[in-house]
Amino acid sequence: MEKNDLQVEIPSVLKQSSCQNIRGFDCVDCENGNDLNPLGNTTSDKESNEESVASSENTKSDREGIVIDIPSMTSLSSLSLSLPSSPSGLHIGQTKLVVHPEKCKNTNQNNSLNLNPQLATQKQYRSLPILLAERTGRKLVHSDTVRDSRFDPFKTWSGKLERKISNLRGKPTQEEDLEAGGTNKHEIEEAPGVDRYFDALEGPELDILRATEVSVLPEDEKWPFLLRFPVNAFGMCLGVSSQAILWKTLNTSPVMSFLHISPMPNLILWWASLVLMVLVSFVYLLKIVFYFEAVKREYDHPVRVNFFFAPWIACLFLTLGVPPSIAVNLQPFIWYILMAPILLLELKIYGQWISNGQRRLSKVANPSNHLSIVGNFVGALLGANMGLKEGPIFFFAVGLAHYMVLFVTLYQRLPTNETLPKELHPVFFLFVAAPSVACMAWAKIQGDFDYGAKIPYFIALFLYMSLAVRVNFFRGFRFSLSWWAYTFPMTGASIATITYTMAVTNIVTRSLSLCLSAISTFTVSTLLVYTIIHAFVLRDLFPNDISIAITKKKPKFRKMLAQFRSSSSDSKDFDSSIAKGLEF
Amino acid sequence: MAPNHGPFTKTNHQIPISTRHQPTISTTGVSTGTSTRTRDSNIVSASGTDLSILTQFHAGYFRISLALCSQALLWKTLAEPTTDAHALSGIVRTIPSFAFILLWLIALLTLLLLCSLYMIRCFLRFRNVRAELAHHVGMNYLFAPWISFLLLLQSTPFLRPSSQLYRVLWCAFSVPIIALDVKIYGHWFTQGKKFLSMVANPTSQITVIGNLVGARAAAKMGWRESAVCMFSLGITHYLVLFVTLYQRFLGSDSLPAMLRPVFFLFIAAPSMASLAWDSISSSFDISCKMLFFLSLFLFVSLVTRPALFKRSMRRFSIAWWAYSFPLTVLALAATAYAQDVKGVMPNVLMLVLSVLSVVVTIALMVFTAFKTHDILPHDDPFACYSIVRHIST
Repeated sequence: MEKNDLQVEIPSVLKQSSCQNIRGFDCVDCENGNDLNPLGNTTSDKESNEESVASSENTKSDREGIVIDIPSMTSLSSLSLSLPSSPSGLHIGQTKLVVHPEKCKNTNQNNSLNLNPQLATQKQYRSLPILLAERTGRKLVHSDTVRDSRFDPFKTWSGKLERKISNLRGKPTQEEDLEAGGTNKHEIEEAPGVDRYFDALEGPELDILRATEVSVLPEDEKWPFLLRFPVNAFGMCLGVSSQAILWKTLNTSPVMSFLHISPMPNLILWWASLVLMVLVSFVYLLKIVFYFEAVKREYDHPVRVNFFFAPWIACLFLTLGVPPSIAVNLQPFIWYILMAPILLLELKIYGQWISNGQRRLSKVANPSNHLSIVGNFVGALLGANMGLKEGPIFFFAVGLAHYMVLFVTLYQRLPTNETLPKELHPVFFLFVAAPSVACMAWAKIQGDFDYGAKIPYFIALFLYMSLAVRVNFFRGFRFSLSWWAYTFPMTGASIATITYTMAVTNIVTRSLSLCLSAISTFTVSTLLVYTIIHAFVLRDLFPNDISIAITKKKPKFRKMLAQFRSSSSDSKDFDSSIAKGLEF
Repeated sequence: MAPNHGPFTKTNHQIPISTRHQPTISTTGVSTGTSTRTRDSNIVSASGTDLSILTQFHAGYFRISLALCSQALLWKTLAEPTTDAHALSGIVRTIPSFAFILLWLIALLTLLLLCSLYMIRCFLRFRNVRAELAHHVGMNYLFAPWISFLLLLQSTPFLRPSSQLYRVLWCAFSVPIIALDVKIYGHWFTQGKKFLSMVANPTSQITVIGNLVGARAAAKMGWRESAVCMFSLGITHYLVLFVTLYQRFLGSDSLPAMLRPVFFLFIAAPSMASLAWDSISSSFDISCKMLFFLSLFLFVSLVTRPALFKRSMRRFSIAWWAYSFPLTVLALAATAYAQDVKGVMPNVLMLVLSVLSVVVTIALMVFTAFKTHDILPHDDPFACYSIVRHIST
């Protein structure tokens, strides 16, 4: 637009707000070279950068202006530039000049002075103020009662539910008329395909954002608690309830009676796990109600989807570990109720392995898939404990067939499979889970610990040993809540060893059961301490859940972003991430 | 690419033989030469106007014989006195026995018809047959005639399993299966272009089913060692195939959407393995149960995914016949299960599955009767490849 275009009739929204107040809106006065817009406050500039970059990605393709906000420590040098659509070297050159603001504030000013004449002569697309104003939602003139709508795409029905509820509560927002245009609809990101998760994330749990990616939500602010509450939290329930089963076995099993374990630990642990389960389920239910889109994204995540089995497995563990003082004989209908959701989830996920184009197993296979298999074996064990015959065999058969497929796939470590970490990570302990539970289930189904049970048991033991001797390689990983889920295989191995000791009783097996039980108890206690420290001292038990906030498309100007981020990170990481980014 | 068949195109207007299957079989010519021409000229992949039906006839048509022969076996099994007294058996026993014989004869006639057609094709269109052998889907259907013969043998009301003729026939039908095994399984791990990871697709399970059917027939005959031998061949390759198919390497996406019904073969293989092991071990033990349950799970998994089959259901084609055989084998396995584990649920399962398989087969027969021209070999997925391959050879 030429200068005279600025005289065009301004929409009413713009009349209400001055450009100084709206983030991302550039007011370049082409006559006066010094008047490059210092945007108002700069305290939270950085997040607006992310957000404005992200928002600019979401603008329609015919408006290709990219706005880059440069953060700065002083009040002056916040600068926004509209890049014109024609990619000429001149404009790229202009942007390069303002990339490193922290280093040279003065040069910033000089550069801004230099830029002006060039800007004046170029045709530019202005960044859309309406869109950005809607996105920030906070910097309008009457911003007191305005809701933070940055997180709307993740909320149920994009925030409409919340608005309805707040309306019911008598706090009408004044955004109704502004948003009546339905611009929020334009900003709703469709869920990214599975490829995007692999492109954008890295790490053994696919939870670390690559340097070339941006998140849809601001990374520096603490997101709402519900949004930060991942489905991995159910891993805690898994860990604690499996401990309850261990102490129950230690108490009731005749071969371990020399330890004289009282029923108290089992009782305490069982109640603790019950309370924890109720708590976590309640919070996650709230998340489903209020942040359904975020839950959907977790479901699409190739690693997190397996954790959706965790609540049901935890329920099965609770039933298995119920103290004898509370209930001895459980009704079979409980088993049917508990297995129904597992069956439905399985039908969906195994079916995806075999027929879905994007989510084929050779692509998405990762150790967390074991969680989707273990449920079968745990259900078979519980059913056999209850005295059922055919149902346990059904689930055992299904679990065995799919476990075979998964086991071979993971062992092959196909080159098409990127999610297996090169270094060891606690997630590898999940390998131990399936054979140890399978051996117990088979022993219960058959009635005694025959060869069909011994073979999986020895496999489980071998895998455990090969991981345990490499415990040094497990260092150096960031603590995360999902580590709780990786403790239950250790506990499962201990319980399997006790079961094996009941069949083959001698000093070796007894000491082995003792040893493994001690290790698993120690690990869980350590993990408990860590969790308490992170929860109350460091207060980062629930960090921002970056893995669900990836963009649908790759962000443009990846190089620039990477350069940008590398100012605070290793150059080595930068190089590797650039290399990755340039692959496309 | 110039559409041509080279010197092998004959402009004979062979009257295509209808594949209607009604209690009174009739072979009526369905079209005259001119209408053949007009139909063919609409085909994009057609290589000219005077296509012989024989060129495009392919082994996939043996799906019809597979379906009918397995139906015969199902009816025979249901009518056996060992089947638990239940409503279904009651119904089945009211049907006079000559109906079973009739069904068996129809199945036999269809099979002989298709075999003779294919033999003529071998003589006259050998290049196409060779091309079919080379195709990753087509080559598996070469097992289909032998499987159908074996199923007929098992369901025959005229021969007892211990008779000499039965044994001779078993040998006659199993030797080709073993020969094909050696060729195809050998290809899987030795040949460059035909590695398993490249050619694996759901129809490869027909090779496994062939071995298992042979094993079951042998066990019924009393030849235990041959039975165990063929069973182990089948189950080992099934293991490998199952894992490969589940992994779904990129190369294995070569199944055209029209052929999606062959996914039902996932159901057929474990059911057949369950039946075979049942015959070998003389009781429906835990391995048989596990295989049956796996097959049941896969059935439910496929049935709850209608989107997978949507594209292939738009138009009637020979691929639809692929639904019938697996359902029938599943019903057979359910029958064996119900015989062993007596109770309400197994019998209900047997009832439901048997009724489903019968209904599906009858529906397919009706469809074939009314839409015969759709099922005739034109505009068929295999048609393209035979032309392309021919040009490349």
